[in-house]
Amino acid sequence: MKRLLQVYIVCMTLTGCAFNSIFINYPSQIAPYKSQLATSTSNASLTKLADNISGNDGLLYAQEAGRIAQIEGDFANSKAYYQQAIAAYKDFDDRAIVSVSDIGATSSSFLLNDNAIPYRGPGYERIMLHQYQALNYLLMGDVQGALVEVRRSNQLQSSEQAHYEKSQDSIKEMANGTINSEINKLNKASGTVTSSFLNAYSYYTTGLLHELLGEPNDAYIDYRKAAQITPDNHFLQQDLVRLAKQLSMPQYDEFKKRWGDAPLPKKGQGQVVFMVERGFAPEKQSFTVPFTIDGNFQTAALATYYPRTTPLNTTPITGLNNVLKAQSIANIDALAYNALKEALPGALFRQAARVVTKSELNKSVKGDNKHDNDVGSVAMQIFNVVTEQPDRRSWLTLPQQAQIAREFIKPGQYNISIAGSSATKIEVKPNRATLIWVIETGNRTRFYSIII
Amino acid sequence: MKHIKVIFVLAAVLGLSACQSKVQYGDATEVETVNENFGSTDLQAISAKMVDSMLTFPPIVVMTQKERPIMFVDKIKNKTSEHIDTESITDTISTKLLRSGKFRFIDMTKVDAVRKQLDYQNNAGMVDPSTAIRFGRQIGAQYMLYGNLSSIVKEAGSDKDVYYKMTMRLMDLETGLIEWSDEKEIRKAKSKSFLGL
Repeated sequence: MKRLLQVYIVCMTLTGCAFNSIFINYPSQIAPYKSQLATSTSNASLTKLADNISGNDGLLYAQEAGRIAQIEGDFANSKAYYQQAIAAYKDFDDRAIVSVSDIGATSSSFLLNDNAIPYRGPGYERIMLHQYQALNYLLMGDVQGALVEVRRSNQLQSSEQAHYEKSQDSIKEMANGTINSEINKLNKASGTVTSSFLNAYSYYTTGLLHELLGEPNDAYIDYRKAAQITPDNHFLQQDLVRLAKQLSMPQYDEFKKRWGDAPLPKKGQGQVVFMVERGFAPEKQSFTVPFTIDGNFQTAALATYYPRTTPLNTTPITGLNNVLKAQSIANIDALAYNALKEALPGALFRQAARVVTKSELNKSVKGDNKHDNDVGSVAMQIFNVVTEQPDRRSWLTLPQQAQIAREFIKPGQYNISIAGSSATKIEVKPNRATLIWVIETGNRTRFYSIII
Repeated sequence: MKHIKVIFVLAAVLGLSACQSKVQYGDATEVETVNENFGSTDLQAISAKMVDSMLTFPPIVVMTQKERPIMFVDKIKNKTSEHIDTESITDTISTKLLRSGKFRFIDMTKVDAVRKQLDYQNNAGMVDPSTAIRFGRQIGAQYMLYGNLSSIVKEAGSDKDVYYKMTMRLMDLETGLIEWSDEKEIRKAKSKSFLGL
């Protein structure tokens, strides 16, 4: 009985932290912000979200708050939030190999659920964080700062690449029947190509910033990697051919044969570069299996994704001389499925440990008194089922898909719009590039542009 | 039993009070190794090396024997993967060079402020025209000091290696010749502790 009381005390103190994913599933915490971004014309208040940055999952809330501020065009605040997230990742990096706080978190996850472990995003989230931070610096006019963030994401990209070169096979090592079918389902949705491991959008963005800020040789390297991941994007192919031509690279003939020659800008022409982000990243769903041990009712809960049924099409951009069709460069869905697939072995291990801990707790409440026994064991079973929540945390305000489009056009003013959005005026100057960042969130589309 | 408890509580209180945070002054030139990022020690090492190298370079010694050449500092380009205040590095270097008494400087970061002031003196109608400083009387710089700061960062397992290289050059603006150049390399290695919080 005393054990039980202790568990309840732990439980009560934990509910004390208002915004906590241990009991309130994470997607439902972010849902109101997403709907606000999708519809309202007023800006979302971030103070409540930002209060959580000091908490256990501070990293995740900082990413989320930074992204919401960024979507709304508040780049200064977004930069500050992202900086907090970057610092949190750095803390993880600097942590000792055997860390007391990690052990503490893992052991409380044995008692409650995986949400007790501080959130640490998968590799692609961390890369996107730096990519978005680079855009913050760029849109606020700090070119050198933007390039620093670009180099940081380049560093992470190469370590991510090295990681997958070693461990592509490591995810196949699971033998549990139910979970296997879940993995197969995820496999089908994410495809087997590199695009589910590495993010071509990040490579393209870093390449683009390198190119626009006067480092075409670095851009060429990043574009080539992006093209290895997403080989069928027309704009990316053209960029590669054009850069190979401009830099007289040995691959120029090969690229030209494969994709056709690329037009160079005519004298006095300007350039429009579109980065189109559409929708929101997928939410993790819960997947619960009930069973009994020694006649005590228990559940196991894991997170999964339900693949979307309607894929996104190309986005027609109107208002230029011709209709420009933005093509997909990366699907965040595929990356998210893959990240979850990789996290499953660890989650399964902790799940097994949790089942053992909880059934031990069930046994421990069995005292001598018959009445005590019943109340205790019923309470224990309720506690077990209530605390058994899957880890549904992930960066939810990321886009579902990123698309790109690019064209050399005559300088002047244009009224551009994408399907269903109101028109926005942009300016194109001779020999300069106008970078237009289009973020579509449900019923609302925002345009941010800068002339570089 | 009770005594033991009291002793334990006292010990805990004493132990905790030792953990209180405190502030103290330190030596500004002390070696700083809080983390592997670019820090004050790197800044000091770079500026000391650059100034020494420049002031002892024989052609520069000859050049500064009869006159105090005028130079300006262009920005140092930050090519690392950290947000570093490179202006602070150039500030230190230019201050040291100026203090050596061998060079004179033009501060390009204050051109706008100077223009505003001269504009006020000449055009606002508030300043006695005989005391107003006229436009077009400043002296042009003969040399430009500029540089690059780049880094290579490698990380594997619990080891991290950071290498910085600072290159500086002095260009004669009339001839376009590089009169002096030097570089400073810094390497820092960091390995994670095995046990910790």
